[in-house]
Amino acid sequence: METNILYTHKSLVEKSKLGDRNSQYKLYELYVDAMYNVSMRMMHIKEDAEDVVQDSFIEAFNNLSSFRYESTFGSWLKRIVINKSINQLKKKKIPVVPIENQMYHIKEDTETMPLETDIKIIIKGIDLLPSGYRQIINLYLVEGYDHVEISEILGISASTSKSQYHRAKKKLIEIVKTL
Amino acid sequence: MDDFQKYIKENKALFDVHKADKSKLWANIEAGLNPQESKTKTIKLWSNPIFKVAATIVIALGVFSLINIIIVGGVKQNSQNNLALQELNDINSHYKGLVAYHVKLVNKNSQLSSQEKKEFLSFMDELDLEYELLKVELQKNLDSERILEAIVINYKKRIELIENLLSHINNSKKMDNDDMYTL
Repeated sequence: METNILYTHKSLVEKSKLGDRNSQYKLYELYVDAMYNVSMRMMHIKEDAEDVVQDSFIEAFNNLSSFRYESTFGSWLKRIVINKSINQLKKKKIPVVPIENQMYHIKEDTETMPLETDIKIIIKGIDLLPSGYRQIINLYLVEGYDHVEISEILGISASTSKSQYHRAKKKLIEIVKTL
Repeated sequence: MDDFQKYIKENKALFDVHKADKSKLWANIEAGLNPQESKTKTIKLWSNPIFKVAATIVIALGVFSLINIIIVGGVKQNSQNNLALQELNDINSHYKGLVAYHVKLVNKNSQLSSQEKKEFLSFMDELDLEYELLKVELQKNLDSERILEAIVINYKKRIELIENLLSHINNSKKMDNDDMYTL
């Protein structure tokens, strides 16, 4: 079963590889909302997110021949969206990686998120994070990448990713508590 | 994975709060996609050296046969033309003599008035003109056999004309003689 997941929408993908516009549109319809949300979480601005989604789909369909079911189509596409978002943020000189030296000392990871906190408040809290922390939290918590993957995406070491995530989480808890 | 992470994962769907403007985005995406035809794989035959050699041979053969067709065709046409001209010469030498002989006869004939001679010769000139036209046609080589036939008919008409005239003269001569006789 696990290997079968990789071949989700295989016939659509195969037809799309041959340039069938209908199949491409069907794939687009299936994934556009998810990709738009990924992009919105990264970019935070509607227009920027839309640009990233457009560019990602264009790149994905035009380079679909290089997709060889090593992952699901969805995660392949999501990786394109994430990479494009990061590139856009870098172009805009928005810090992608959190600032290393924070003014405040980071205590041990004792605080935990009060359980059953409303998801909406958590989302609001993430929005209020400094952009560098927000990327890490989004990539790790929401998009579900592990620290090795995040290190590849952001071009940092896996240990940096780990420590930055903990800092970001602490900051998030602080913010959520004030909401 | 701590509880917080699990909690987020379980409620991941709630994070997708945005709705994309599907049609607007698709319009922009479609504009950026490769045209559908170019998506089909092209196999570059010419990148293979064997095909290069094959293509060269095919082109060389093509050029050779084309030149061959032109040259042979030209020769054929020439020989055809020559044949037609030869025939024309034969026809000319045969009929020209006949026509000239008959014209001489007509001219010599003292019993014809100058008016009648003029009329007759204008007919002959007309046929002459027709003959010249046919000769030009023959050089164009449209359908040499039919043109040659037309030339022969043209000659025959002239001779017929002359013969008619001569027989007419002879008849009138006889008539004259008869008159004389009765008188």
